[in-house]
Amino acid sequence: MNSMRGSSVDAAEWERDFAAAAGRSLEVRFKYAFIHTYKPVLDDSPFRAFDTIEEYRNWCEANLPDWLGYGRV
Amino acid sequence: MAAFEYRQAEELKSALALHGVRYLFIGKAGAIILGFPDTTQDADLFVERSPENNRRLAAALAALGFDLSPEQADEIGRGKDFIQLRNGPFDVDLVFAPDGIESFGQAWGRRVEVEGYPVCHLDDIIASKEAANRVRDREVLPRLRSFREYWMKKQR
Repeated sequence: MNSMRGSSVDAAEWERDFAAAAGRSLEVRFKYAFIHTYKPVLDDSPFRAFDTIEEYRNWCEANLPDWLGYGRV
Repeated sequence: MAAFEYRQAEELKSALALHGVRYLFIGKAGAIILGFPDTTQDADLFVERSPENNRRLAAALAALGFDLSPEQADEIGRGKDFIQLRNGPFDVDLVFAPDGIESFGQAWGRRVEVEGYPVCHLDDIIASKEAANRVRDREVLPRLRSFREYWMKKQR
């Protein structure tokens, strides 16, 4: 998946992916889509609550490894 | 924690309906229910913020097996903007005020139902990711926009 590029080649490939997915039941789509891998820090607490989305975003940027991708661009 | 399974999604849908919770699937989970082929780890729910709806949500989550302390149930009851739950049978994020969406009522009016799952319209999912503007959102947006074109053609 080359989701960063968005070229015409990608678009054709993506459309084939979309068509293939459309032929699958919702149950099968769930099976393929939902995965679990451990995310450091993020998965280390059973419960977190933030008063504002801004507070949550700031917390992510201050505490999560950059490679998780939670930092704002 | 194992991956979120279809069976659990059905249980979640049933419990939220039984308790009369107003909510929408949002984020990549929502897009996946609409047919977007990608991967994600948890379910993101956009919940209407009202004292009654928040209370119903906490009750539904407890019924599903989420281990909520009185303080945690209270935080859900207050409808804090973002709540991350990792203390139940699956991972779920509760979002009461997603970026890029003006109000729950407007998103509800544009919702799409897929096999009984209420889902934000793709335009709202995309708007939310555009507004959040995280690295992970930037990565998925080109493909998500392409899917929107495909999906809209299929809706006609």
